[in-house]
Amino acid sequence: MNSIHHHLARALALAMLVVAGSLACLGALPAPASAMETVRCTGRPNAEDDKSAIQGATESRITLETSLAAGEGIEQLTLHIPEGTSFSTEDLAVTMLTGDDLMTREEVSYTETIDGQDLILDFDEPLNDEGHLSIMVYGVYFPQAGGDIQVEASYVAQGAEHTLENIPTIPVVGITGTEALSQWLEQQPWVQSWNENRFLRLFFDPTIMVTSFPVVLNGFFMSIAVVALAFPLGIPVALLLAFMRMSKFVLWRGIATTYVNIVRGTPLFLQIYIAFFGLPLAGINVPNFPLGVIVMMLNSGAYMCEIFRAGILAVSKGQTEAARSLGMSGAQAMFYVVLPQMFRMVIPNLTNEFITLYKDTSLLAAVGVMELVMYARTIVASTGSITPYIVAAVFYLVITLPLSKITRHLEERALGHQTRRRTPVAASAASTSEEA
Amino acid sequence: MKTWKMPKLAPIATLALAATLGLAACGGAPATEGSTSGTDEGTGEVTTLTEGTIAFATSPDYPPFENLVDGEYVGLDMDLGRAIADELGLECEYVNIDFDGIVPAIVAGGQADAGLSGISITPDREDQVDFSTPYYVDNQAVAVMSDNTAITEDNATEALNQETVRIAVQSGSTGEEHAAEFFPNAELVSFPNFTDCFAAVQAGQADAVCGNIAVVNQMLSEAYDNEHVVYTSATGEEYAIAVSKDNPELLDAINEAIETLDENGTLDELIAANMG
Repeated sequence: MNSIHHHLARALALAMLVVAGSLACLGALPAPASAMETVRCTGRPNAEDDKSAIQGATESRITLETSLAAGEGIEQLTLHIPEGTSFSTEDLAVTMLTGDDLMTREEVSYTETIDGQDLILDFDEPLNDEGHLSIMVYGVYFPQAGGDIQVEASYVAQGAEHTLENIPTIPVVGITGTEALSQWLEQQPWVQSWNENRFLRLFFDPTIMVTSFPVVLNGFFMSIAVVALAFPLGIPVALLLAFMRMSKFVLWRGIATTYVNIVRGTPLFLQIYIAFFGLPLAGINVPNFPLGVIVMMLNSGAYMCEIFRAGILAVSKGQTEAARSLGMSGAQAMFYVVLPQMFRMVIPNLTNEFITLYKDTSLLAAVGVMELVMYARTIVASTGSITPYIVAAVFYLVITLPLSKITRHLEERALGHQTRRRTPVAASAASTSEEA
Repeated sequence: MKTWKMPKLAPIATLALAATLGLAACGGAPATEGSTSGTDEGTGEVTTLTEGTIAFATSPDYPPFENLVDGEYVGLDMDLGRAIADELGLECEYVNIDFDGIVPAIVAGGQADAGLSGISITPDREDQVDFSTPYYVDNQAVAVMSDNTAITEDNATEALNQETVRIAVQSGSTGEEHAAEFFPNAELVSFPNFTDCFAAVQAGQADAVCGNIAVVNQMLSEAYDNEHVVYTSATGEEYAIAVSKDNPELLDAINEAIETLDENGTLDELIAANMG
């Protein structure tokens, strides 16, 4: 059959050569009737923590795409899925992709039979079109332990059976501990009755809680990393700005005041957008993470500048005068006398700024930084449960609650120092107003 | 002083209680509403969150399907939503929710009656919500900067599947799934907004963007003419309207409306008008 085809094609080409000269070059390359070839064989990723990982014991899908030449006459295709992997024929999709760009879809009519691990497709009409044949098998569960899964396939073309060569293996990773725990939980009666309550299922689904915990933890480290770098780096920026704002020179004062006013007067969200999409257009290319750190640093620098300025002004003028009278220079008086007192005073305010900055790292989710909220979002999108957001909230509170407690303690201590010098009546009045 | 301690806690407790009740009410509302109208299909009696209004959740960052132009919701989906509301004799309202939040919002209820935002039917989403009959079929495409010589139409399938390649995708989209399955070696960068994916490619935060072909083409022709398509895949995704599983009456009503709009040619007109 093949040889007849070849002969015909050659004869045709020869005729064209004679008749149409140079045009023949184009016509003389008919597609030889080659065998069906594998284009790709993939599994659909199904892991929460790694978007491109395929894990065992979790629903997936196998996609096998093969290329067909014209006139192959494929009558039957058998897909052998290895032992240990289960699949279903529900939603099974068999499609021919044709056209120059393979963008025309044609449904293929077939009858499917399952024989053990074999999925047999008998095509109602032999496939004779040139193009790609795409087969999607849904409801696939790969083995729990993972491993490289080798799908095999054979087909019957014009009465002869052939094996489909070069099918790549599907790399499947073993199920993680939390995933296994989640699947175990799903079987428990108390979890099932817990999840029957709509409110509890949406906000506190135990199965999603355990799977989202390690995923959101990745985001937690990212958020912490951003703030742990941005905050300390923001302190020198803020000090510099504070000195500039208190400078005798109008120019320094003007620059610092303008900067602080602009940064404090615009939303951080907007600043992030400008930095991430604006700076690269201006030719400044900084990778994602350092750029996030820089934006957060510059932002908190402006806020801390005001904290430091107020703190410096709050240190009694007598301190500077006393230091100067001991022979210290202006700079010495500032560094050895004023700043240490100032820092002690502003620690509660700095802690609050740290808390704000930590919470604001969530805004980086909008520009593709994989932080806490972004990880939670991706699981919410794939599960339809709000539970990952609750898990994310816990990760914020783990940091913010102890810190606000420390701040309150520091504030109370500062207040205690002052009230000792006052009359008891005045002290209690002060503390009541503080509570209100 | 001591008498102040108790009232200090009271407002917090009240707030917490109110919040819990509020959330519970939100979660429970569609279920109870759904069960009250036990009418046969076709009588046109549907329950929505606000009587007389149908609220569609949409993420208007997806031209030519949904987009905001001068504060107006425009695009195929938006026109379709208004036509369906007309058929049902309801006012049409759009609720702006980021794409990856739409299906969860329909599951939770309380924010919108249905999701209409170029949502492809996938088995995963079908587990969470019901889908109407599809009204449009779309495929996947990948675009890169036109001056990118490393990734071209000839080598896209391999060149995109490299560890050094960053592909921008919309969080929760089929484009994200497609890129994850067929370019597993590449690094995916997720953005809540699809428009930001294109800006990210411009800005060099990503090398390529993967998403539905109609939208990619529209974005390239309107705003990003220095990017071009290097890869397409006929995934044949069907766009449909997502409705809560607790509101089958609304699903029936929407399906009937789509059928009418399909039969009288309105759907084709809307597609022709928006896919210019």
